[in-house]
Amino acid sequence: MIFSVVKTICADQWRYWLRTKVAATVLLLGAILTLAALVVNAFHIEEAAHARDHFQTEAEERFKAQPDKHPHRMVHYGHYVFRAPTPLSVIEPGVDTYTGNAIFLEGHRQNSAMFAEQRQSAGLTRFSSLTPSFLALVLAPLFIILIGYGSVSREREAGTLTLLLSQGTTRWQLMLGKLLALITASGLFLLPLLLACFYVAFSSESVLVVLLFSLSYAVYFLLWAAVVTACSALFEKSSVSFTMLIVIWMAACVLLPRIGSSVATNAAPSIGKLEADFKVVEKLRSLGDGHDVNDPAFKKLKENLLAKYDVDSVDDLPVNFRGVVAQYSEGRQAKVLNEFAENRMGEELEQAHIARQFGWLSPTVSVRAISTILAGTSLETHHRFLREAEALRLEFVQGLNKVHVEKLDYKLDMNRNASEEAAEKAVVDADNWALLSEFDFKPEAANTRISNALIYFLQLFVWVCITTLLLKAAVRRLNP
Amino acid sequence: MQINSVICANALTVRVDDRTLLDNLNFSVGKGEVFALLGGNGAGKSTTLKTFLGLMKASSGSATVLGHNATTYPNDVQKSVAYLPESVTLYGHLSGLENIRYFLSVAGVAKSDDDIFAALRKVALQEDSWHKALSNYSKGMRQKTAIALALLRNAPVLFLDEPTSGLDPAAIDEFNALVSELAANGATIFMVTHDVYGACQVAHRIVLLSNGILTGSFERIGDAPIDTEAVHAAFAGRKA
Repeated sequence: MIFSVVKTICADQWRYWLRTKVAATVLLLGAILTLAALVVNAFHIEEAAHARDHFQTEAEERFKAQPDKHPHRMVHYGHYVFRAPTPLSVIEPGVDTYTGNAIFLEGHRQNSAMFAEQRQSAGLTRFSSLTPSFLALVLAPLFIILIGYGSVSREREAGTLTLLLSQGTTRWQLMLGKLLALITASGLFLLPLLLACFYVAFSSESVLVVLLFSLSYAVYFLLWAAVVTACSALFEKSSVSFTMLIVIWMAACVLLPRIGSSVATNAAPSIGKLEADFKVVEKLRSLGDGHDVNDPAFKKLKENLLAKYDVDSVDDLPVNFRGVVAQYSEGRQAKVLNEFAENRMGEELEQAHIARQFGWLSPTVSVRAISTILAGTSLETHHRFLREAEALRLEFVQGLNKVHVEKLDYKLDMNRNASEEAAEKAVVDADNWALLSEFDFKPEAANTRISNALIYFLQLFVWVCITTLLLKAAVRRLNP
Repeated sequence: MQINSVICANALTVRVDDRTLLDNLNFSVGKGEVFALLGGNGAGKSTTLKTFLGLMKASSGSATVLGHNATTYPNDVQKSVAYLPESVTLYGHLSGLENIRYFLSVAGVAKSDDDIFAALRKVALQEDSWHKALSNYSKGMRQKTAIALALLRNAPVLFLDEPTSGLDPAAIDEFNALVSELAANGATIFMVTHDVYGACQVAHRIVLLSNGILTGSFERIGDAPIDTEAVHAAFAGRKA
């Protein structure tokens, strides 16, 4: 009986929406937008995945197809690595939209799109792309407000609330009926997302991750439906409840996430790209020029090597001293580059953690954190991509340097600029280019991602408790 | 008319913030009685009605209906009464028939379409309007729809808030006849109104309310209506 009354009230609310053109239009528009964003994004991701496979294969083939060359020329020829989009990035592209998914690997440098775009994107790019997650986190609550702000206050304003309550309908039944109607209406926005999740669950993604991902969005929609219903009951006039809800939406979905980013940037400031690049260059210079065997920075290396092989001149060494210097220099440079990169990533991560603390003030921030972490499109995953790409870079550069050390005669090497003929002799066989390891980046394991997202699930749980209390207060204050 | 206490106010007092809306009301209404609470604007009529419906809480004393305390057990009261609001506020997006079905459904009352049609015919609501949206109804048609709903509730107690307000004379006569018929069949009717003439025509007892205090009582003797002049004088005098 109790649930049957709730169902009846829910059904009538739906009947009202369907017979009111504005509400029906909002519902239809919201559902179409979500579906369209999902389809467009899915095509985009699919295309990106194919392009990534194509370019990755092409880059490897072109590298291997290089003719006999000086190995150091291959170090500078470089190689591209691409990061495949994760299955859930169809819904939540996360930081991928502005960090890029390709890195050019070459000697003596760590190239990364991240350093160029991360700071600008925090404030701008997130708002410009109509991704399914953006629609769900920012626009869907607005649609829920538009259709639900008058669900209870309309009854009070029209006077039907008195008649309804005098029929023996309890305040809880009325509120739950209205809430159920709004939840099912929100389902129109959620359904395309859930279908996409269902599809993803059959791909390579962990089912538990997909379930938790879907759950976070479902709870988020539930929270908004409850807040809208509660406000509609708390305020006597529809106009007041609408204004209050818009203020709440502005704060939760627009202002607090941006304030979070600004606070994070100020609380954990980081130096700009140019400044960082100058510092890196300055530090690298102090390590010596790896192309010049006579650089004083390698004097000790030379002495140790001569002593080791018990010879008087580098000409008598059984290895190519120029290659040894390149190898030694690359190793030291990589340490410096990694040190700077780790500092930079640490700063970014600290900023991200500070910004995510705003999840205690806005559920939008909590769900966004959960969404990006579980989808494998978070900053942490991007940093992992950078580290793995750097490991591959060092491996392939040092692999070429090893070829330089072992397979190219030192005298031929030093004489390479004497003539065209000498240059042609200072090469190694193209078979040596088959040293590239396959790069197949995968996001963190499901357990790691879930464990990283736990704190934000806690934030969401706190929001569920707060909203339940709000709903209880609204029921208590619901008077005709 | 039998005098068993169906509705009872016992030292009923309602305060909201610092204002006393009802002050120590004492009365009882028996089974089959038509009881009219008469008062001007702001006298406390609607507060009394809402308190008996369990929509407002008594600050002290009690308001009971069929032995259920309306403050502590509002749902028990609401399940056993039918209420006809002043400005009949049904849903404009639904037809008269849909409104009745909806309110019966939330009240947990199962009625067949035949029962509903019979009730609509009894209140003389034209058949061609049953399926039209309520937003196209006149006030009288809305009133009839609400009365049909009240009839279908088969409630032993009816609370009516300014039931004849805005109705034309013919509709008022029809309504009064219906109220009398219901009372004759054992229904207890509690109405609040400021229509002295109408109350005198239909009520077995009239109680005057002013500023939340009961100020007078008139009772029908035999079948003759209550003396309109006497009630009017008391009502106007008190107001003056």
